Parts: sequence; C-alpha cells; structure tokens
Amino acid sequence: MNVLEVKNLQKSFGSIKAVQDISFSVEAGEVFTIIGPNGAGKTTTLEMIEGLVIPDHGEIRFGDMNWGQHAVAIKMKIGVQPQSSAMFDLLTPEENLDLFATFYEKARPTEDILQLINLTEHRKNQVKKLSGGQRQRLAIGLAMISDPDIIFLDEPTTGLDPQARRHIWDIILELKKLGKTTILTTHYMEEAEKLSDRVCIVDQGNIVTIDTPSALIEKLTKEREIRLAFLDGEKAAKEADTFANQLTSVSRTEQDGAALKLWAIKPEDTLLDLFKFTKEKEYQVEQVSIREMSLEDVFIAFTGKEWRD
Amino acid sequence: MNNFNQFKKMFAAQLKLTLREKQAWFWGIFFPVILMVIFMVIFSGSSDDEFQSEIAIVADNPNPASEMLLTQINQLPILDVKSGEPVSRSTAEQWVKDQEVDAAIVLPESAEDTSFVLVVNKEDEQGVTTQALSAILDKIVQQANLSAVGATPTYDIQFESVTASTNELDYTDFLLTGMIALSIAQGGMFGMVDLVEMRRKGLIKRLRMTPAKMGIFGLSDMVMRLLFSIIQILLLSLIGVFIFGANLYINFFSLTIIFLIGALSFNALGYFISSFSSTQNAYMGVANIVSFLMMFLSGVFFPIETMPDWLQPVSNILPLTYFAEGLRDSMVYETGVLSGTLWFGIGVLVIWGVITFLLGSWLYKRKSIVAAR
Repeated sequence: MNVLEVKNLQKSFGSIKAVQDISFSVEAGEVFTIIGPNGAGKTTTLEMIEGLVIPDHGEIRFGDMNWGQHAVAIKMKIGVQPQSSAMFDLLTPEENLDLFATFYEKARPTEDILQLINLTEHRKNQVKKLSGGQRQRLAIGLAMISDPDIIFLDEPTTGLDPQARRHIWDIILELKKLGKTTILTTHYMEEAEKLSDRVCIVDQGNIVTIDTPSALIEKLTKEREIRLAFLDGEKAAKEADTFANQLTSVSRTEQDGAALKLWAIKPEDTLLDLFKFTKEKEYQVEQVSIREMSLEDVFIAFTGKEWRD
Repeated sequence: MNNFNQFKKMFAAQLKLTLREKQAWFWGIFFPVILMVIFMVIFSGSSDDEFQSEIAIVADNPNPASEMLLTQINQLPILDVKSGEPVSRSTAEQWVKDQEVDAAIVLPESAEDTSFVLVVNKEDEQGVTTQALSAILDKIVQQANLSAVGATPTYDIQFESVTASTNELDYTDFLLTGMIALSIAQGGMFGMVDLVEMRRKGLIKRLRMTPAKMGIFGLSDMVMRLLFSIIQILLLSLIGVFIFGANLYINFFSLTIIFLIGALSFNALGYFISSFSSTQNAYMGVANIVSFLMMFLSGVFFPIETMPDWLQPVSNILPLTYFAEGLRDSMVYETGVLSGTLWFGIGVLVIWGVITFLLGSWLYKRKSIVAAR
C-alpha cells in the first residue's frame, strides 16, 4: 500500500530550477532514502512534501489526502525533523516534548519518547546544554511525539560523531520495527545502505534511479578490487604481480611492499589462477579480500560525480 | 486538545521561557529601576525645598533708613543673614569671595543716601540666586520708595498655579510615570527580538510543520508580555511611592485602557522591526536607535515644553509622548475615560500600532516566500 505518492513535482526559485521533475511513491513501513549531492533538490523536495513549500507543478498525495484540502489532517499524520534542529533552547527535552504534544490530537507519552531517543537521563537539562547528538535525538523525538505514521528525517546524522550517528541509526531501525514509514535524506552512503529498503538517487532536480541498495549495486557490472598480502614479503608480491599482469581478466595492478591490489571483472576466476600460482611457488597468502561495492560506487556510476561527504 | 488547554500549556511554556531569559529581567526590570533611582536621586533631591539664600549685611553707619531696611530684610524668611547682624564691608566682601554667602547687601550710609549696593561673586553674576536676590531687593526698594512718598501700591501680583486637575505633579511623579511608560515601551520594542531568533533558528518553520494553532501561540506570548509589563508597573510604582514619596491618584479604568493600547502598540512596533531584521544584532541596532530617540524626545525625563520649539513637532508624533502623557493622566491626575486628550493619545497609539503591525505582517509574508528555500 502506498502511503505517499509524488507525481511530477517541479519547483523553481527565480531562474534556478531546484526540482525539475520528481515522481515516486513510498510504501507503508519502508525506509525510503533520498540521496544526492548538495543542491540536488533533496530538501526542496522534502519541504514540498511536508507542505512548507508550494510546488509550481505536480501532485502530492498522502493516501487520499492532499495539502490543498486536508492540511491539518496531514500535519496530524506526519512527523518532521528538519535539518535545522529547531526547538526551544531554554526548555528541557521533557518540556519541549510536552509542549509539542499539545499541538496534536493524540500524543505518545513523553516518557516513552524520552526512552526511545535515550534522553531520559537528560530530561531535566535545558536544551542549550545538550550535545549535538542529543539535540538531534530530541529533534527526532519531537517528530515522533504525535505517533505519526510517516516520519521525515532530513539529514539526521550530518555533523555527528560515529557514536552519535549509531545512536540515531538504532532509533531509525526501532521505528521500522514499530511499522512506521520513514523518509530519510542523507549525505552518508553507508547510512543509506544500512538503513534503507529503497534508495532514490537525485541529481540536478531529477531522479537518477530508484531501487533497493543491493539491486543498485548489482546493476553495476564493474570490475572489482582484490587485495592480497603475502607472508613471504615483497619478492612474492612482485612475482605475483608479474603473473597477474599476464592474466586476461586483470585490467591493472598495484604492488606496494608485500601487498598487492588488482582489478578484475571476474574476481573469482582471477583468484583461482592466482592461488594456483602461489601454491606452485609455495608462497603463503596472509590476507585476501574482495572489496564490497558500495552505494558510493553506484552514485559515481550513475551521476559521473565524485562523492563528497 | 481543546483550545483552552492548548493555551494553558503554551502559556506555561512562555512563562518558563521568560523566567529563564536573564536578559529580559535585566533590561525589563533591573535597568529601568536603576535608571529611575539615579534620575530621582539626582533631580528630585532638593527640588521640594523653597528658595533660600544666605547673605551678609553691611551697615557701617547705622541710620534710620538702614535700620528700617534691616528690619524688613530680617523679616524675610528666605534670606538668612550670616552671623545674625551687620558686619564690616571688608568681612562681607571676603565672604562673598570665598562663596560663604551668596551676596552681601550694603545698606545706605546715611538717611539721605538712597542707594543700595548688592555685592556678588563674579562667578555667580548671572546665577539664578543673584537674579532672585536682586528682584527681592528691588521689591524692598520699591516699597521703601512708596512709603517714602506715602502712597499705597495700586497693582499687586498674586501668584497662583494652574493645572488641568486638582492634583499637582511634582518631578517625582513626572519621572515615575515617564519611567513606567519607557520600560513598557522598551519591553515591546526590544522583546520581539525573540521572533528574530526563532526565525533564524528555523523554529517558526518548525512550528508551521505542526498543526499548532499559531494564533493561540501568539496570544499566549502576548499575555505573557502584558503580565511582564504589569510587574514593571507595580515594581516601579512601589519604589517611586515608598522610597521617593511619589503621589499617585490612579483611575484604574483609564489606566487599564491606556496600558493595554500602549503595550500592544509598542509590541507591534517591535514586531515591525523584527520583520526586516535578519539577525539579532540588526534588530538590536534598530531598536536601540528608536528607543534612544524616543527616550529623550518624548518627555520621559523632562517635559516636552522645555525642549527647543523646532524639536517639539517631532515629539508630537512619537507614540511614547502620548503613552507617557496617558499614563500621567491616569496615574497622577486621575483622569477619567471621558477625557478628550486621553482619547486623542489613544488614537495616536492605535494608529502607530495598526500601521506597524500591518507593515510587519506584510514584510513577513513577502519574506516567507523568499525564505522558503
């Protein structure tokens, strides 16, 4: 069942076409991630869906509701964590949650939210004294206070340290368990890969592709990077390098000390040949790995752009 | 949640926000109190005392004419004769030089001599005391002249003061009501800086993403601000009345009206300033200029009548002028709600409030389209 449907969204600011033509639909219970470089139109798209920006053209439907006729009903159903984690700095997390709870017809108990976002300990500290990660968690908590079916998280982990980022991932996975639909934007490929059911890559106001992270990676028939390290040192690595360069499946190699990197289209065949060679020479291979393809590679392949964190 | 409950919760949050904002307490409560105390101590300390001057009398050759004048001078309570009796001219001149006395009066040397000499220090030549002394002496001389020819004065000046009401306004009352007007006005003009901060941090946008009723939110904010202003009135009045002996004759009905209109109007002015200031500093800059201009041009510390004529028309359009006058009318003169001047002032305040509010709203609307990006 689709809980959100977006059709042919367009938005210009002056002469800048921020969103050119974006259409997608989101199913109930999935984590739908929009990724793309800065200025790709992610935030504008999100703000149109959230009802903050009126699109120049296109349609946004939440089930059978739309912004024109059901603005209040939609606001009751959705929870939003905007990029600027805006809240009352002089109030405590508890007070912020209590205040936001009054805006809605139904609200989850403040206690539950505090537990979910792991801020029970800091419930009585003024927000201005919280760390960046704690603030961000509270912002997500504020988005959840009304127990919404659809939650929008706009770059929830930008600027956080790895520990804090993991905290937020846990919350998002928790939301998924609760059956909530999450629409996420992020700068981090790793995050999109870990959390999302489907990823939507946006560039220059257009959708480049939409699919599951693994399907996107599979679509790439690119060569893979193989790494080997030899216990017998540089000599073994050099000999293996020479051997590998004779193989037709290997496109290029890089040898550095006892380590060897090679790029091949069919890594399993290449490895078989290489191990035959080392067995013959009685060299011991200390480590071997095939680097996983990541969404980053997908992104570069689809947009032709380097990914910048 | 119903509207009243929502209002109660929002008001509770506003109350906490205000209580925790140290700046609000400093500028809204502490600063006006300090300013009022300083002004009252400086300017109202001796203003209640009557004119009095210490003089020396020189009567080197006592004669009937000088005796008669000496008795007259001694009868005047405002002239205090140093050492109680005439001294020699040189002693008197020394006293004048050392400023131990305000002046020395040299009485006629003989019955035929008809001239006085008033000796004053060069430094005080143009001073108020000298002027007053010479006027008093003039009066004595005139009377002496009249009695010398045996006539009675035909014309006489009777001094009477007239005010609009029965209660008189002394400087303490003037300053107290002015300070109350100023602090409420500043509360409005500076208080809206919160809005700039809320917009800058994206809090206004955040609230617009919720189904929160912004009208109720604004109302709870306004009620909080009015409450804060009532605290200002009470505190300043208590200090004015109990420490500096101000006299208040309050007409509560007119006070309530002028207070509400004034406070709302200055909040609208602050709202207007917030609509075009994108940072806190920009807002504070504008608010400071406006508040400074009004502070000195609106008859808060000194009556407008004492200002140069060309400047007075400026005062006559400033809202603070009418707010201060309205507060004076309702707190000191006990003016009722039927007074025409009161309503004229209210009219001016309403015009200011409505225009600035509409301009502010218009600018906010225009900006939100641009700022939506």
